[in-house]
Amino acid sequence: MSEPPIRTPLRDRAQQALGDRFLHEALDIATTKFIGLRREAFGEFPEGERLRDDARAIKEATLQRLDEHLDRLIDNVERRGGHVHFATTGDEARDIILDIARRTGARMAVKSKSMATEEIHLNDALAAAGVTPVETDLGEYIIQLAHERPSHIIAPAIHKTKGQVAELFARELQREVAADPEVLTRIARAELREKFLQADLGITGANFAVADTGTVVLVTNEGNGRMVTSLPRVHVAVMGIEKVVPSMTDLMVFLSVLAKSATGQKLSVYTTLVQGPRRAPELEGPEEFHLVLLDNGRIAQIGGPLREALACLRCGACLNVCPVYRQIGGHAYGYTYPGPIGILLTAMLNGPRAVKELSHASSLCGACADACPVRIDIPRMLIDLRKQVHDAKIAPWPERVVFKALAWLLRHPGLYRLGGPLGRLLQWPFVRGGRIRTLPLFFGQWTQTRDLPPVAARTFQERWAALEREGR
Amino acid sequence: MTTRAEFLARIRGQMATTRGLVEAATASRPARPRERLEVLRRELVERRPRSLERFRTEFERVAGVFHRVATVAQVPAVLERICRERDARSVVTWATSRLGVDAEPALTAAGVAVHAMPTAVPALDERQRLRDIIARADVGVTGAELAVAETGTLVLRSAAGQPRSTSLLPACHVALFDGAALVETLEHVGIVLEAWHDGAAPDDGGAVINLITGPSRTADIELTLTRGVHGPEEVHAIFVDAGLPARPHA
Amino acid sequence: MTASPHVALMITCLADMFYPEVGERIVRLLRRLGVTVTLPPGQTCCGLPLFNSGYHADAAAVARRTVVAFADAETVVVPSGSCAWMVRHEYAGLLEGGPDAAAARRLAGRTYEFSQYLVRVLGRTEFETDAGGRVTYHDSCHLLRGLHEAESPRTLLRNLAGVELVDLPGSDECCGFGGSFSVRLPEVSTAILDRKLANVEASGASCVVACDAGCLMQMKGGLGRRGSAVRAVHLAELLDRERGAAR
Repeated sequence: MSEPPIRTPLRDRAQQALGDRFLHEALDIATTKFIGLRREAFGEFPEGERLRDDARAIKEATLQRLDEHLDRLIDNVERRGGHVHFATTGDEARDIILDIARRTGARMAVKSKSMATEEIHLNDALAAAGVTPVETDLGEYIIQLAHERPSHIIAPAIHKTKGQVAELFARELQREVAADPEVLTRIARAELREKFLQADLGITGANFAVADTGTVVLVTNEGNGRMVTSLPRVHVAVMGIEKVVPSMTDLMVFLSVLAKSATGQKLSVYTTLVQGPRRAPELEGPEEFHLVLLDNGRIAQIGGPLREALACLRCGACLNVCPVYRQIGGHAYGYTYPGPIGILLTAMLNGPRAVKELSHASSLCGACADACPVRIDIPRMLIDLRKQVHDAKIAPWPERVVFKALAWLLRHPGLYRLGGPLGRLLQWPFVRGGRIRTLPLFFGQWTQTRDLPPVAARTFQERWAALEREGR
Repeated sequence: MTTRAEFLARIRGQMATTRGLVEAATASRPARPRERLEVLRRELVERRPRSLERFRTEFERVAGVFHRVATVAQVPAVLERICRERDARSVVTWATSRLGVDAEPALTAAGVAVHAMPTAVPALDERQRLRDIIARADVGVTGAELAVAETGTLVLRSAAGQPRSTSLLPACHVALFDGAALVETLEHVGIVLEAWHDGAAPDDGGAVINLITGPSRTADIELTLTRGVHGPEEVHAIFVDAGLPARPHA
Repeated sequence: MTASPHVALMITCLADMFYPEVGERIVRLLRRLGVTVTLPPGQTCCGLPLFNSGYHADAAAVARRTVVAFADAETVVVPSGSCAWMVRHEYAGLLEGGPDAAAARRLAGRTYEFSQYLVRVLGRTEFETDAGGRVTYHDSCHLLRGLHEAESPRTLLRNLAGVELVDLPGSDECCGFGGSFSVRLPEVSTAILDRKLANVEASGASCVVACDAGCLMQMKGGLGRRGSAVRAVHLAELLDRERGAAR
């Protein structure tokens, strides 16, 4: 499903984020912590590098036989009494889920954290259809109360201070609440425990689905994934097609790198393997299990330029190391998925034009690719997206003119060398004390905050003749 | 609505346009998983003492509380102590035949109500009543099929007499395990999982396998770690030297 | 090693226009090490700015010119990690299937960033400087992650008599330059720079060293604007002579 285009320019959104003191501090603390935890986890894990290579290989190999693996997954889910649905668009996915809710008479749905359901804007649709959606992941619960979208792939409320959370809870519960994470967690536990026990419908995503056995895998730390898949009558799992893994052996490779990359834990607290609905001998479990397989732009990338991005495990490691994300946070990106991988996913879901600006929200430093447990070469694809924007001729025309002029100049060495004398001439009014502090027009973007060196009195090439003589 | 055929056809269409990025292979799974598991189990027997040490270290690292007893007869005393320390009034356990120990006499004598889950499945309203009991219990006692040394993880399978929320709803979870449950690495867990799914599922088996690594936690508020968000805030593991009699699925 | 190694210098557009003294130092130093240095005429830019912004046909045209200009070069030395990366990593792909494809691959295999050349090719690592004080090293992204080169500059600095090398917290963090990024999202670029310069200050060094003209332009730009006493210099500016050599 396409998200509506953002009106505010990226630069303005970024500036707004940069001016947010709370956000800045929260981001700094959180990302620095995550980076340290990840480094420590892999530091004591010598097999880590090899496993990352293996994980990457499994993702690619899976894509090369995706149809077979999905066929097997579907057959195995159905064999165990589950139902599989196919959603080409986000709209369709929503309709499928609403239909299930309607048919089963659900009035309240508890949700375990699922970026896929964020992507298709499921909560709004549920609410509109009279099914109250209740987010149960603490971070998601917080932003649901705040009517915000997640700002980080795994820590959705990372931009909120405990004071802000306390305020939210106080407003919701109509009473004073201490700004203490322990207290706040206890409150959430009690509030949500009731919901878990009353809900008719449990909705989750899926971190993985094992084709060999028809098992959906949920990775959580809080236990809400277990609640949501055991207590309500109906369980619906929404999953991008790229999450399928062939075997249990493959699954373990991913589990060995996922939590380490995300939070530095060896394993998340709960890894829950769900193989269909409750079986006859069981006391508990849903009577119905539904798996909604989601396309929403993914299938087109199997043969497309963003194929590599299909390997993403949604661990968030790239966000934590990204110099841009660390400064502006998740909301400034403007779409469901923020950070480096978020730019690629946004292009996948909404087309390359949607990232006309976002593809430049990167200094191409490569820290993301370094941190990625499945070695996705994000910078390469960002450059490719920039190329697609260029090829579609939708960049602002002044920019195109400047770059074309530059390209032409660089192809004509004689003219390029005129850059020396010409530069010195043009800069003359602006050079003070050997540096340039202010420049007009577009060049002011640099000089607003940084000095610029002047074009040298004699460029290197102008000095070469003398240098060459010196060498003889 | 998109049909399976349409969906797969689109996927195949896209697959036909490319050979992929590089040569790549999936992980090699054992050709005969159950045999492989047998071999692994034999290998692991000698390494048990070290595995147990490692498990203890990693389990405590994720805030698990480790206990060790010589025989199954000593388990009730440990449970009693845990209940006392937590001021627990009510305990739920897996079916006694699944657990391999009957803690009811000792705990009842100490004033703690014990509810062992039935192996047979009752009618819906009785199931609801049992669910409420579990939800109100202070301690949940289960077995554990695997104890993973590398990560301090306990692996539990749902089954008849082994309801899922025994290890989830009460604020304190106690798991009993013995040497036969010890494996060393996540790779070993993979071998076990392959074996468990190789061939027909046990008749009394359930639909869920849980890998549990410590108590429930979150750091969603300012990255401050808190425990017991939705799941248990405390996890205990009691290792029985002499072994547990009833193993749910060998 | 041959009697007198020959090096063709790829001066890079930024060093050519703004930091020619870096080029001069490199030429004079290499000569003192017994290397013959030439400057192939007709060179302009490696094309990275065009490539990074998606103007690939234009980048390929510029790459072609560069490949032709350096056709006879035995070894190419570049004072910037990002330009060296461009040549080594992207030229072959840009010119694939065309008449210059083989030449591009050849050039890629013969091109080195300056510190890499000194340490890994020439094997010369012991230098001295008159600079004094504490220095710290900033890893430029393309050199570190593109060319996998973290060691050579550090080897040179560690062995550099006359200064003390101290650690830079977050040395592997981007300085915020990113080419056109620095003017497309100037506030974000500056915020990233501020973080880098805070780390530089925390290191206690009087001088931050880098092997990339883009990083230097960004860091010098920030340091200058703050009126900081800390200098940002290219590694070549600290390598005055080999240890024990005459002044």
